[in-house]
Amino acid sequence: MDAVERANVERQKRWVKDQKVGEGTYAVVYRGREASTGRKVAIKKIKVGQFKDGLDMSAVREVKYLRELKHQNVIELLDVFSSKTNLNLVLEFLDSDLEMIIKDRSLVFLPADIKSWMAMTFRGLEFCHRNFVLHRDLKPNNLLIASDGQLKIADFGLARDFADPGYKMTCQVITRWYRPPELLFGCRYYGTAVDIWSVGCIFAELMLRTPYLAGESDMDQLKTIFRALGTPTEQDWPGHTKLPDYITVGQFPKTPLRDLFTAASPDALNLLSKCLIYEPRRRISAKDALHHQYFFAQPHPSYPSKLPKCATQLATAQPLEEVDANVDMESTVAGGKGGPIKARPKRKLNSPYDDSKSRSIARRLDFTQPIPGS
Amino acid sequence: MASRSWLQGKTVKKGGAVGSNGHTRPTTPQVQSTSTTIFGGGVKDPSGRTAEYFSMDDQCPVCKSDRYLNPKLRLLVSSCYHKMCESCIDRLFTLGPAPCPICNTVLRKLAFTPQTFEDLGVEKEVAIRRRIAKEFNKRREDFNDLRSFNDYLEQVEDIAFNLINDIDVPETEKRIAVYKAANAALITLNLQREEAYALALKEQEEFERHEREQRAAELLREEETERAEKEKERQEIIDKLETSEKDAAKLIAKSRANTLKRSSNRVSSMSRLGLGVDYAKMLKTRSKTASTVLDVPHVPFQDNWYSFEDMYVLKPGGYDDLYSETVRKDREGIMRGGGYRVEEAWERALRFAVAGLDLLPLEGLDPTSEGIQIEPSLVGGDIVLAS
Repeated sequence: MDAVERANVERQKRWVKDQKVGEGTYAVVYRGREASTGRKVAIKKIKVGQFKDGLDMSAVREVKYLRELKHQNVIELLDVFSSKTNLNLVLEFLDSDLEMIIKDRSLVFLPADIKSWMAMTFRGLEFCHRNFVLHRDLKPNNLLIASDGQLKIADFGLARDFADPGYKMTCQVITRWYRPPELLFGCRYYGTAVDIWSVGCIFAELMLRTPYLAGESDMDQLKTIFRALGTPTEQDWPGHTKLPDYITVGQFPKTPLRDLFTAASPDALNLLSKCLIYEPRRRISAKDALHHQYFFAQPHPSYPSKLPKCATQLATAQPLEEVDANVDMESTVAGGKGGPIKARPKRKLNSPYDDSKSRSIARRLDFTQPIPGS
Repeated sequence: MASRSWLQGKTVKKGGAVGSNGHTRPTTPQVQSTSTTIFGGGVKDPSGRTAEYFSMDDQCPVCKSDRYLNPKLRLLVSSCYHKMCESCIDRLFTLGPAPCPICNTVLRKLAFTPQTFEDLGVEKEVAIRRRIAKEFNKRREDFNDLRSFNDYLEQVEDIAFNLINDIDVPETEKRIAVYKAANAALITLNLQREEAYALALKEQEEFERHEREQRAAELLREEETERAEKEKERQEIIDKLETSEKDAAKLIAKSRANTLKRSSNRVSSMSRLGLGVDYAKMLKTRSKTASTVLDVPHVPFQDNWYSFEDMYVLKPGGYDDLYSETVRKDREGIMRGGGYRVEEAWERALRFAVAGLDLLPLEGLDPTSEGIQIEPSLVGGDIVLAS
């Protein structure tokens, strides 16, 4: 056993894996704890064997950037070790995310709560940008909430560092509803402004409690944006007609944000409008946003521990058995009795909390394993 | 697809295009049904009407007449899932049961239903599943454990699959009969339960609709009274101005205050009515819990990153390096449109150059003095020291 292997085994011993809490395309997430202190952690086991050309790109990115970033509002990568052929990332354990909180209709947000979440998001993002890292996948689903209420930016699977001049970047990043117009126009040279647009969308979503710019396709996304904010003119956004995938999707007039956000304070709308400026160079930076009047005005941002929390948390997810029995006969009959009565708000399909997904997993599990407790 | 042989001879369409949607009309015309349905074909929409499949390419596989020859052509589906036109059905089956011209199954005139789906395979599957679901209606509660429930579901799926694909039909029918005999009581019980559930659902819907209507009526009435009040008040002011000798401005202000009081009364009575009373209550509890810990004013940063002055500034005119040449050339072009800032690249280069050394950036360095040797080309013109 050489020195490297010995070091690895030593590290592996520091952590104990408990039960599985989730599964993604390229990783399985386990709940775990530190052997010496009992501190809760999440262990993300990356499936290496499945990919012909080595390690998945997003795993590389995640390790690369999280290794460098340590901040109160960025998820902490505690350790990395390998077991057999798998790569394991030991991350902070966080029990809920902002999407769950937004969707939980039993919670009421005060303006101060939204201010607090926004301040924490901007702080975390500013820290990334200060270190020349673009996150490129900001959405409520990737903003995790710690048990003490602190918001932490997670999932650096699409992150990259700020490009050197002349290097192209891909425009196929950021979940569609949070994607800025320059990426939709296929721009290959962009900067920190792409993340600010996403934060603007999240800000709007926190106030509306429903996704702000929900397009059904990339084309529809552009149309949705323009319908909400007006079609940009050459004056609003110089040079946008020269972008690679530029396309006209129709003329829409500008409507004041006030029409939709009737209850928002003028400061909040001012910050929101600055996050959603079409010209990326004029869009507010994370640093300037933190100095915006909105954050200093009354009411003060809520103290993190007082922020509303989800009752149903990740750890106490539904037992598998219950989910499985939902497979009812009605669903196989076309035009039969109406399905479930409660209409769920529509959500994008890649959400890990989507019903259909968890059901299919549970069903698969059931046939390969004996059911505990039956 | 050998098991689908019953589909053969069905789609003889113009131009050989099988299942082309090209000429399908977007809105299906509602044809008055002449034949009643006996085996459950034809899927009804919520309003109870049967949507019929209709295509300009329709052709009767038996008499080969099509929509051009017979604009009123209407194809119906037999219980063996073969299509034929109404005139063929009349011709063949009016005199009593006769064999199907395609597969020789003995058919009756009544055993034809309108077609709902373009693909008859789907038509058949829907009919079979509907029939199966009526009999195999056990629920999770009827089983002791999940495993046996899943086994049961598996078995039901098996039967449905066999019937759909015509595998061992007699034996499967026997299985169904056995099951039906064994579980007759439970089946009827579950049927009743389902009916009760559907009824409850309908009642709830009805109740909600009623409530909505009431609320709308309430709002309308509110508006009405508000308008009437306004009118009355205006009249009052005019009257008072006419009769009394007091100051006009004072009178107006007084009546304004009165209105305000009245309207606030109205709002509070409205919220009592149930318009968002829940949210108001939740908001109250939230703000009560919120006041236990004091909120602190916003602090932009919680570290001291920006409290140090940078020991360098970027050269005002920019740098003339090889890499950024492409960007600098295209000042107004695509890089500008996308928000790329070459200044950030320069800043990163400078920061990385000095930060990794764990030195304060270029502290006390004078390019002319002795000491640490720095590339003269780097310091000489390109980095501007902060004074």
